[in-house]
Amino acid sequence: MPMESLPYKTTPTNWKRWAWVIPYAGLALLILFIPLPLPFHAPQDRLLRIEASSFQFTPGEIQINPGDRVTIELVSTDVVHGFSLDAYGFELKADPGQTATGTFIADQAGVFRFRCSVACGNLHPFMIGKLQIGPNLLFFRGIALGLLAISAALISVRNVSRGTT
Amino acid sequence: MKKERIARWIVIILVLTAIGVPLGSWWLSRAQGTQIEIHARMPENGGWSIDTIQAKVGQPIHLRLTSDDVVHGFALGKSDMESWLSIFPGEYVETTLVFEHPGKYIFYCTRWCGLNHWRMHGEIIVTGEGDPIPGDSLPLFLQYNIDIDAPHYAENIPSSPPSVERGSRFSDRLPNYAIDKQTYFLTSPEGLWLKLRSEPSLSDLSDMDIWDIVRWIWDRQNSSNSQSLGFKLFMALASAAHGESGRGDGVMARGLPVMDHSNMGSGLVRPPDFTDPHVLLSASPAILEGKIIRGGMGTGMPSWGSILSRDQIHSIIDYLYTIAWESIK
Repeated sequence: MPMESLPYKTTPTNWKRWAWVIPYAGLALLILFIPLPLPFHAPQDRLLRIEASSFQFTPGEIQINPGDRVTIELVSTDVVHGFSLDAYGFELKADPGQTATGTFIADQAGVFRFRCSVACGNLHPFMIGKLQIGPNLLFFRGIALGLLAISAALISVRNVSRGTT
Repeated sequence: MKKERIARWIVIILVLTAIGVPLGSWWLSRAQGTQIEIHARMPENGGWSIDTIQAKVGQPIHLRLTSDDVVHGFALGKSDMESWLSIFPGEYVETTLVFEHPGKYIFYCTRWCGLNHWRMHGEIIVTGEGDPIPGDSLPLFLQYNIDIDAPHYAENIPSSPPSVERGSRFSDRLPNYAIDKQTYFLTSPEGLWLKLRSEPSLSDLSDMDIWDIVRWIWDRQNSSNSQSLGFKLFMALASAAHGESGRGDGVMARGLPVMDHSNMGSGLVRPPDFTDPHVLLSASPAILEGKIIRGGMGTGMPSWGSILSRDQIHSIIDYLYTIAWESIK
């Protein structure tokens, strides 16, 4: 049986109904890539005393400003722990009772994890902390993008229901 | 028929290899001397997997050490810090030990591996011909019958930091006993100060001058080498309990009540505060030696007598006095 004779019927895609997508896509790109005016903080010297115990860092979340000169004092309270900061290649190792000290300049903004770099027991892989350098832009851009997606979803739902009724 | 013969031969060869491989490897390892694999674990999880090793005089034993959980250390009792090994989880470290003297040797963990770290030790029993291990001399507190548990707290301390240089100016006026090694070991700084204060020949000197003399005498008895070795030993072995500054606030002693003679015996207490000059200026080297050798004092301090050599203990004492002198404001 030739294909042409199949009984089918489609409505041609109405591209005009999807025109609203273009400004939305533009807006999404804008949200992702627009440089935001950041509040400027004069770089300062910071002394952070971090206590490492099985299996956590205290404090586990730290917020600093870009450009700060950070001195970390790592104090271990039970066994030998390490401190290694993602993206910075900064590493410390501390025995209990022997504070390890190191300094780095926070020249990369963003959110970085620091991890224990010396195996310290079963939960060692989960011994992770967070160092936030500057505002967490990715987080805010993500929220804005999420809101945009919700509004896009609402519009498309409205369009569909209009189309069917 | 031929096929059956081949099959029989194959079975025979397989059986022979199955027996031969372990036998051969045993033979080869036997030829290389004793090899022992020891796994280190936190004391809560069993400590050393082997805690008694038998050895023969002059026969090397090869140790393959690894850790199953955290960083540990390995050292023989009374050995130099340079020979201490670190054992990292998942890595092997090897060492060969040869013993000259028959007797019992201690091995212990040198890296803090938790609250019960100090429990982590084992022994090597060496048998065979030879002179026994040279023993330490009797501790001073036993030789001179000193009560090392008597409470002590100096009533007199210097009002300002004493100076070695100023003290050295009076060196030619001192009585003979003052610069004697024996006096140094058996007298506390405060005790010597009181003794010199009552010397008629020094009555024209001020209290502070006498403290300068005592400081000079203490400096004379300690070499700076010994102090820096004492510092290294203190940091490696003691600072987790005594604190890095000697204040008694180490991470392992946190939350324990402060030592007080009324709460003796009712649970663990903190180590004393060495930065309070009243504490160490009233203790003689003999008392400190005794306390380090024996341990205890209600603080959970281990007994270091079999772990540290007498010289190492004296280095630590030398370092402790520098804490006391330097904390006088």
